[in-house]
Amino acid sequence: MSASTAPFKERYRRSVGDPDLKPRLLAFQRSWRESRDAQVRRLEQRTERSFDELRREFAAVKDSTLKRIDDYIAEFRANAEAAGATVIELSTAEEAVNYIAAVCKSRGIDLVVKSKSMVSEEIELNHELEQRGVTAIETDLGEWLLQLAEERPSHLVMPAIHQKRQYVAEILGEELGREFDPDDIPTMVASARDGLRRHYLSAGAGLTGANALVAETGSIMVVTNEGNMRLATSLPDVHFVTAGIEKLIPSWNDAERQLQLLPRSATAQTLSTYTTCITGAQPGKEMHIILLDNGRRAMRNSDVIGDALRCIRCGACANVCPPYQVVGGHTFGHIYTGAIGLVNTTFHHGIADAAGPQGLCVSCGACHTVCPVDIPLPKQILEIRHRSHQAGHAPLWERVALRLWARPRLFHHMMGLAALGSGFARLIGLVRRDHLRAPLPRRLRWRSIPALPMRPGRSLVESRAPEPRLADSPAAGQTVDLFAQCLADRLLPTAVDSTAKLIEAGGASVQLPESQHCCGLPAFDAGDWDNARRMAKHTIEALEDSEREIVTPAPSCVISMQDHWPRLFADDAEWRSRAAAVSRRVHDLADWLEGPGRLPDGCLSNGEAAAWTAHRFCQTSNRGDAWGRIDTLVERLTGEAALPLDEPDVCCGFGGLTSLAAPEVGAGILERKLSCIADTGCETLITNNPGCVIHLRAGADSSGASHQTLHYADFLAARLPKHP
Amino acid sequence: MTTTSERTALFADGLRAAQGELAPCRTWDDIWQYAISLSDETPVVAPAAYAHLQQGELPDENEPLRSIADRSVGITVATLAVAETGSVLLLEPAPIDRAVSLLTRRLIVAVAESDIVDELADGFRWLAQQPRAAAYATFVTGPSRTADIERSLTIGVQGPSRLVVAVLA
Repeated sequence: MSASTAPFKERYRRSVGDPDLKPRLLAFQRSWRESRDAQVRRLEQRTERSFDELRREFAAVKDSTLKRIDDYIAEFRANAEAAGATVIELSTAEEAVNYIAAVCKSRGIDLVVKSKSMVSEEIELNHELEQRGVTAIETDLGEWLLQLAEERPSHLVMPAIHQKRQYVAEILGEELGREFDPDDIPTMVASARDGLRRHYLSAGAGLTGANALVAETGSIMVVTNEGNMRLATSLPDVHFVTAGIEKLIPSWNDAERQLQLLPRSATAQTLSTYTTCITGAQPGKEMHIILLDNGRRAMRNSDVIGDALRCIRCGACANVCPPYQVVGGHTFGHIYTGAIGLVNTTFHHGIADAAGPQGLCVSCGACHTVCPVDIPLPKQILEIRHRSHQAGHAPLWERVALRLWARPRLFHHMMGLAALGSGFARLIGLVRRDHLRAPLPRRLRWRSIPALPMRPGRSLVESRAPEPRLADSPAAGQTVDLFAQCLADRLLPTAVDSTAKLIEAGGASVQLPESQHCCGLPAFDAGDWDNARRMAKHTIEALEDSEREIVTPAPSCVISMQDHWPRLFADDAEWRSRAAAVSRRVHDLADWLEGPGRLPDGCLSNGEAAAWTAHRFCQTSNRGDAWGRIDTLVERLTGEAALPLDEPDVCCGFGGLTSLAAPEVGAGILERKLSCIADTGCETLITNNPGCVIHLRAGADSSGASHQTLHYADFLAARLPKHP
Repeated sequence: MTTTSERTALFADGLRAAQGELAPCRTWDDIWQYAISLSDETPVVAPAAYAHLQQGELPDENEPLRSIADRSVGITVATLAVAETGSVLLLEPAPIDRAVSLLTRRLIVAVAESDIVDELADGFRWLAQQPRAAAYATFVTGPSRTADIERSLTIGVQGPSRLVVAVLA
């Protein structure tokens, strides 16, 4: 069994054991990001429209086409058949394979040359044809290399991105019967050209995919860089096209819009080398266009997932995905890779094949920001995780942990015990710099285990006198409810206390609603919506008895209340409106300090310039929340400039349960982040989400980094005037 | 409004950005002289270009592709060019029309300066209005390339390794 077709756990183990994969994919992601951003900027300038406007316009075209898909298929069919093509609609992978095999058989064809087609991968055509006595040869260089290695693509556009040149030299050498110098890539490419040429000349049929099916003329449009598609459709007498029904677009005008977005998002090119449009069969030849459903109509009819059919297979979602960078596409995906693969696999290959990689997604939301057709991938992945959890694919430890977490009193007692245990460990010298010095299993050593402070944050707030008023904020005189967040309350108690102090410094007073616990995010994230609802209801009950504004040091809880609660209560009008009444009142601290609790510019300047930098919580950045830019807030209040941090919005690797379920992924992403942090030379790293603080602090401790890691509330509160 | 010379300059920028080259030719005669200077082999000429040149070798009618595989210089003609992207539009309904652009090592494409349009959208608008044109139409932007081995950009993987465009006055 090859590395790409093994069961998920085996693929995971192999990919995290490959020392070359991470650095190679990191270099790829960074160079893609730079060139893609430059391309998009130029496009925005030329069209005088924003990327958001452009992608929404084209998404609207895709949506309206999908809504009337049968009409467009009929129009396409009439035009293509008038031009001499045969158009056939098929429901399943098996039907598609059988059709192609039958045509080959009746024409005496035993060799098919293929240009890149993801649908042919989806239906595992090469393997299936082989079983039926027909050989299929891939002619895209990357696809051919995969075929020689018996692997699946690990990227939608760069299928062989996981292969090292040494490996390529080996497999090419074996196929072509000669030795290659791995450093001489041009020679390998030239030999591949010659190796492939003989197949074109002897093939009876050529098979291609289609980037678009243009209804108004019955044409296909295919984009390639190598030109292999033109060869595969020119030499043999039969041309097969395999395409999903979602590739239909109404007109050439729409094709051009797709091309504004596709090559720029895929390979960061203005246009790929060859954009080929073919209408009908060429004189004396046959053209068979296979329009495949294979789960697509079911996808279209699914509320949350339907938008995923807009996908134009550019691969951008993988190019910004932090876990993809760590494990690659053989692990982060099935046959379709990247964020879109986590979604559409469910419909093309079933929930069992989709379930494995679900836990690798850190929910950072980066994929959505670059998607050229505005697919809400983060939302969809959470939906698939929910389905996967319902189908019984969640690990046992996770189910047990969430069941405990969902019980506030039990959670409270367990945390109390953990704090006692930490206190004991402190006594016997097992705690240094706030982390346990106990031996850990190898795969967990990248992160120290934080020792729990004895007193939770809420008790710190309640046991001190209020912070004197520093300035009159718009909310001066008000009382504010503080939602501590379960994690911060126990693991970052000072951040809770500092949050209260900063509110009080603006002249408001702070109250801590008694029975508050957890908003439900950890369970929601894990797809365990029953426990998530239980936690959400508890929080709603704890917070709904007042009209006061609510402030929290945890932006993740704000997102949970604003974005996830409506989904949890989609079928429950009463709880939906109770949830909305609470979430309307909630503010992240940074949002508060710029809004109702605004403190004046420079009021926290203490004259001591600190060398600090800021990691921004990825979810807020990727959601486009201005208040996620804590560096701007801290600069304004302290008058001190942040040291510039590379990739400030890229995830730190915490990812909720991901860093527990897939420690190597958490570690790999953290490594990328810590290296950017080290490059700044900072003494203090601040960030805004408690989970990120804990993760980054434990990782810095374990790696021996010299900077300290703080929640920005602690950083700011330390600058409040000293008082006796 | 873009002037013709601005459009030509933009086209040249786009072409170069895609690793294409501009030929120092303003007439069909220039093209011929340029083509024969590149190689000792007789240039092969696509039927549409032969109509202008009246010299060079046409692909074999029965075996158009096999007859010219990997010949060193080919000449063809584009219907239009796109300033925005540096692309040329080749209309090649039959294999004999395509042979030269598919299989020669160095491809010279002639396009009239007055046929350069501003944007790709103009190219598609033109295509949409010519029902027969899209039988087999290709926007070619630079020479054939791959980056499939360790993302190393390699030119000339399956089609021509040099794409030279001659903008005719």
